[in-house]
Amino acid sequence: MSGPGAPIDFAANARAALGDPFLQRALRTTLERFRELQAAVIAEVPQWQALRTQAHAIKLHTLGRLDRYLEELEAQVSARGGHVHWARDGAEAARIIARLARGRRVVKSKSMTSEEIRLNEALARAGCEVTETDLGEYLLQLAGEAPSHLIAPIVHRSKESIAELLSAAAGTPLPAEPERLTAAARILLRRRFLAAEVGITGANFAVAETGTVVLVENEGNIRLTTTIPRVHIALMGIEKVVPRLGDLAVFLTLLPRAATGQRMSSYVSLITGPRRPGEADGPEEFHLVLMDNGRTAIHADAVMREALACIRCGACLDVCPVFERAGGHAYESVYPGPIGAVLTPLFRGLVTAGDLPFASSLCGACGEVCPVKIDLPRLLLELRPRVVRARGAARWERMFLRGWSWVMRSPAALVSAGRLVRFTRRLLGPRPRWLPYPFSQWAASRDLPPAAPFAFRERWRR
Amino acid sequence: MSARDDILGRLRRAGFTAGVPQVPAGEAGAVGGTVPAPVDRFIERARAAGVEVTRVAEFATLAEQVRETLAAAGARTAVIWESELLRPVEDALRRSDVRITDDPSQADAGITMAEAAVAETGTLVLGAGPGRARGVSLIPPLHIAVLPEDLIVSTLFDLFPRLEGLPSALSFITGPSRTADIEHTPVRGAHGPIAVSVFLVRI
Repeated sequence: MSGPGAPIDFAANARAALGDPFLQRALRTTLERFRELQAAVIAEVPQWQALRTQAHAIKLHTLGRLDRYLEELEAQVSARGGHVHWARDGAEAARIIARLARGRRVVKSKSMTSEEIRLNEALARAGCEVTETDLGEYLLQLAGEAPSHLIAPIVHRSKESIAELLSAAAGTPLPAEPERLTAAARILLRRRFLAAEVGITGANFAVAETGTVVLVENEGNIRLTTTIPRVHIALMGIEKVVPRLGDLAVFLTLLPRAATGQRMSSYVSLITGPRRPGEADGPEEFHLVLMDNGRTAIHADAVMREALACIRCGACLDVCPVFERAGGHAYESVYPGPIGAVLTPLFRGLVTAGDLPFASSLCGACGEVCPVKIDLPRLLLELRPRVVRARGAARWERMFLRGWSWVMRSPAALVSAGRLVRFTRRLLGPRPRWLPYPFSQWAASRDLPPAAPFAFRERWRR
Repeated sequence: MSARDDILGRLRRAGFTAGVPQVPAGEAGAVGGTVPAPVDRFIERARAAGVEVTRVAEFATLAEQVRETLAAAGARTAVIWESELLRPVEDALRRSDVRITDDPSQADAGITMAEAAVAETGTLVLGAGPGRARGVSLIPPLHIAVLPEDLIVSTLFDLFPRLEGLPSALSFITGPSRTADIEHTPVRGAHGPIAVSVFLVRI
């Protein structure tokens, strides 16, 4: 990722988001809509739970033999005339792609992996003119902003502000109507497509046995990106490989339903090598960049490995009460929401991103909806003590816990402490609005529970 | 050490620390099941995805129906795949006032031949190849696909075992291109076709 950087202050970011009424309304309506659509098409699949289990098993099996499946993928892509590149980190991947695209006109489809490595900046330095072609990503590029949802990247912007962006790009005033705005962007971007020399995509899956890259979308921009330019470069994290073509039946049944609540996305492209003799279109050159960028470290972590099963559907974001209020930008990461709260500390470090595993009520909704059955609540919980060990606990917290452990070990101290607590609690009244530091921090967003009238020992004695 | 050896080495060293779970055999095969009336299901699901579906009773009338669809859409220029089944359509269009072009970016409509379809999702499956350019189903605003009914399978689980070798690009197409990026308002016609029309034929 983009290096550790300054620590992410999630609480401050979330507070800012809570003060933005448009964002609050947009998040609520968008996520509610996603959840309704998802529930309707998931209910149609009686074997949904069996499919999740199957998907989880396929992913964990593949991760257990990732070296072999990657070698098989490489061999198959090469056998069909494609070129395979390996990149240890984001900088290396960006260098490889910049070398292939140097000085040329580039069209790009939405790819979280490319966001992860800030590919556009590297391409700009290599003299490329880069155009994001997914509508949301194009608008973000015009605004100079980062995506805030895995599936709905520009959920944080109103149609009025989008109309301003597009009017400036088109050089003519456009009304704040989604249909008109989409039509205008289609025309602006169609010109870019027809003039493009290099197309860059991510990959939703890659099939080892056939050397096929699979791309899922609704707009058609990925198909244009893999149809018109002379060169196609696909960038993928090494965890995206699946063993067999038939495995796609499982994942393509799950992904669109969990992501956008569609039975099937408008377009799924199975790309196997460059264009073949006699074909009139499609790229003459096909490059596949296999990128590590922190993934082998997660792979080596027996507990966290299953986070690599993620298919980036965004379903865990849509059900997360914390995400619904804090929004994607609060996570300061390409990967927000529950899966982001797991991946970001693993990618960028427990100190920098240590706030994120705590940005969860542990309600468990994310684990229940995950189409590949990643046990997200467990991973979040596992990360918390790691963060505390890495960051070190606050001095008062250490003192408090030392005192606590002393009290709990001494029966006499426990009896007196119990009396003290019950006395103090009565003194504070039923709903105290203020507590002395450091308890004020805890009480700022929580109610202090009432104390029991008697200690258990007293009641037992009676 | 090359990046390749470095990455593969790290994966090998870690490979078995978390074990290699076996994928339960057969379970996936049982999932999906068969759809009782796949043709009807395909029609229902394709329509739900925004596709106009026409059942052609007599194959001989296909060309005329395609021409009418083009006329209704105001399409004057068409690009068409090379296929034995599409030959009569192409001949009829050449005799009419529709101009046939090789360049999808100059065409108002693209006409293709599906090699399979999935009933459960209303999905067309199109393979690229010589005489079957990818752009035909993608670049013009109207996409017309001809689909023989007996090529419809129940679910994705029935589709993959039937694929014999993969073309350079295999496209699954479900409805017109769409987006909901602006305030979650669904809009038909993003970068690809704004309308898709399927002609179901029996051969």
